Amino acid sequence: MRGINEIGMTPGASVIEARGLGKRFGRVRALDGLDLRVSAGEVHGFLGPNGSGKSTTLRVLLGLARASFGTVTVFGQDPWKDAAQLHRRLAYVPGDVSLWPNLSGGEAIDLISRLRGGTADRAGYARAKDRLTRTFALDPGKKGRTYSKGNRQKVALIAAFATPADLYILDEPSSGLDPLMEAVFGQEIERVSAAGATVLLSSHILSEVEHLCSRVSIISAGKTVETGTLAQMRHLTRTGISFAAQGLDQDQLSRIPGAHELTVTGGRVSFTTDTDGVNAVLPMLAALKVQGLTVKPPSLEELFLRHYGHEAQGTRGRRAAQASAR
Amino acid sequence: MSALSVLLGQRLRRDRWQLVSWIGGTGLLALFSAAAVAQTYGDYAGRVSILRLAIANPAILMLRGTPRGGGLDAFVFFEIFTFLALLAGFMSTFLAVRHSRAEEESGRAEIVSATPAARMTPTVATLIHGVLASVLLGIVVALAFIAGNLDAYGSFVTGAAVASTGVAFLAVGLLAAQFMRTSRGANGTAASVVGIAYVLRGLGDALGTSGTDGTQMSPAWPSWLSPIGWGQQSAAYTANNAAPMLLSIVLAAVCLLAVFGLQARRDSGASLLAGRAGRITARSVLSGPLALGWRLQLPSIIGWCLGGAFTGLLAGTLSKLVEQAGSADPTVSKVLHDMVQGGGSMHHVLLSVMFSLIGILAATAATQTIIRMRQEEAGGGAELILASPVSRTRWFRDYLLLGLSAIVLVLLSGAVVSGLSALAVGGDPARIGDSFAAAAAQLPAALVYLGVLALLFVVLPGVTITLAWISIGAGVFFGFFGGLVGVPQWARNISPFTHTPVPSSGADFSGALWMLVIAAAAVAVALVAMRRRELRPN
Repeated sequence: MRGINEIGMTPGASVIEARGLGKRFGRVRALDGLDLRVSAGEVHGFLGPNGSGKSTTLRVLLGLARASFGTVTVFGQDPWKDAAQLHRRLAYVPGDVSLWPNLSGGEAIDLISRLRGGTADRAGYARAKDRLTRTFALDPGKKGRTYSKGNRQKVALIAAFATPADLYILDEPSSGLDPLMEAVFGQEIERVSAAGATVLLSSHILSEVEHLCSRVSIISAGKTVETGTLAQMRHLTRTGISFAAQGLDQDQLSRIPGAHELTVTGGRVSFTTDTDGVNAVLPMLAALKVQGLTVKPPSLEELFLRHYGHEAQGTRGRRAAQASAR
Repeated sequence: MSALSVLLGQRLRRDRWQLVSWIGGTGLLALFSAAAVAQTYGDYAGRVSILRLAIANPAILMLRGTPRGGGLDAFVFFEIFTFLALLAGFMSTFLAVRHSRAEEESGRAEIVSATPAARMTPTVATLIHGVLASVLLGIVVALAFIAGNLDAYGSFVTGAAVASTGVAFLAVGLLAAQFMRTSRGANGTAASVVGIAYVLRGLGDALGTSGTDGTQMSPAWPSWLSPIGWGQQSAAYTANNAAPMLLSIVLAAVCLLAVFGLQARRDSGASLLAGRAGRITARSVLSGPLALGWRLQLPSIIGWCLGGAFTGLLAGTLSKLVEQAGSADPTVSKVLHDMVQGGGSMHHVLLSVMFSLIGILAATAATQTIIRMRQEEAGGGAELILASPVSRTRWFRDYLLLGLSAIVLVLLSGAVVSGLSALAVGGDPARIGDSFAAAAAQLPAALVYLGVLALLFVVLPGVTITLAWISIGAGVFFGFFGGLVGVPQWARNISPFTHTPVPSSGADFSGALWMLVIAAAAVAVALVAMRRRELRPN
């Protein structure tokens, strides 16, 4: 296997570098100045609502589509011009896997692996394929047209993981998998990551991203809106705190430092506070002798919903405007 | 609105342009042939001499049917009915599979079956839709012949014969959809049945017995095994006998009983013949885009090669017979000369006529390769390949190589079988060389299809499939039948097949040269443009 050092990549050097990336389809701008930086050895989560441009970005990174403006490099090379050369080092799982109708799953896996040149070590490849078909519980003898969505995805995943790569580009790879197979998928990501590979994982399963990724980028309407480590992301959202309202008056509650959006409903007080400010709140809560305290850690979900909600509201707003104009 | 009317409306709407082109095209063929016969074979004596020759020539009987006298109307019926019936058959089988098995395979049928439409209503809607299409086709054919100044009653008998053949094959298509797991399999099976029906009728007609005056013929029993044969036995314009058409309706009813019986018992998406399991590991040759293309296209290339070999067999065995007939009467040689450009001896012209059929098969095989490439791009297969270290140009170039191989294989199978069969019936050994020369002459036209459609794929991928089929259909019509039905020369010149040379001493090869230049230029431009082209799934 080609290791990180062998290819002259130091950890932290950027494997993917996109600046102001744009992609026009006619008048529509699918990407509109997207920035993305993925460093060597990291598992990078790529988040965004449907239609935000995730798949288009991945297709540009693979050289299947050409950027209309902006710059993009993969391993320092132009993915459009040097596509075939770059593809020796990467593995790809499309979001919507379609297989050849008259090839069996096993044949499709072999074909893709051979194209990638990863089958020189025959015994090693056979072992890897066998191990993956068993752990992903795939029947490799069925024809491509008879597989369900989840099974087609498994075929593409096995083909991606059966031979080593320096970069894995995965487009919502676990969207058709059951929870058990999601766990198997997670283990494979951890395995290739431990071996030094870089992973770009587009997803909207936030728990998966929180579990697997070290850094994330969130895009919306073809632009990057947030990027950073998970810890930095968590800073962007507030911690939710709630407790029983029994015996506490408004005056006491107003003394809690740094409380935002404080409400009293259904006999419980709830508010949010900056994640840095949790420690400052706790002594006051202790002094008030609050009962039934819950502290909800910040989640990507809230951040995601904030950006997503923005877009959805925008859409609703436009629709309403159109409706009233009629 | 009931579920049935919703589904029927959806089918009519989805097929509207397709049916307009099938029905309109078939109607135009009828109109052209009526007009052309009146113009070319206007006098009774001429028609009688042609028919006498046709009866002596099993190849023409096989292609056309059995003649029923020298009347103008009956002559038109003899000349064109089997083609009209063939078109009706293909229209119906493709329609049936499109709305049944293809829907089940894609999973769309499940969405529909989960509504109150349930399992049977979609099939009923497809049946009504297909019957409407066949009836409409019959009416259009009848009107076309009436417009061509043929007898009105006989024209409606012809229309009814076309429609009943269409209905029979509609039921065959629906039945094939019950048996086969995939739409490809169902289309292949149903279209084969249509082809077999045509060949059975051809055999029966060729083996038939001629009447006393030498312008009439009754077919042998194999013709009575074929819905196309039944339509033909209506003997429109002469006997005007509707009874044989009832056989088509009976066949349709029997097939439909089986269709509804099976439909009521089987699971949605399941088929009577199960799909076969595949290999767990790929053969070692399956390691690149060219090998994958072979794997995907092999069944259809084999099919086109069988077609080429069969036509080669006809060319080899019949050449002696036709040569004798042709030297006896100049009218036969005129018919044959109308189908190809240029002169040459009777033998060379006949060989060229048969090999232009093989050339059409070769061009169609090349066209299908380009269509497959587009389907791979639209379907997502190309994305998996191009995400590996395979460049766009290599992937594209491999499909061109595949198309070239398909063309060469089809032409070779025709040439080899033609040469050998000519030897087997005691022909001159020089016939082997002639066969290969005739096959080589077809190469430029097929290459034009490959090159120009490849360029079209690069520039306008979205319309490639539609334009590919249209260009083949138009090329065959103008190039091969154009001379027979009296299309003006400038229109015939549109077709690459028109420019195919007839190899003989003093033949004109300039058309072939130009076609090679066009094909090479198109491929060169396409290869350069492909470097700059994105993958365009939509």
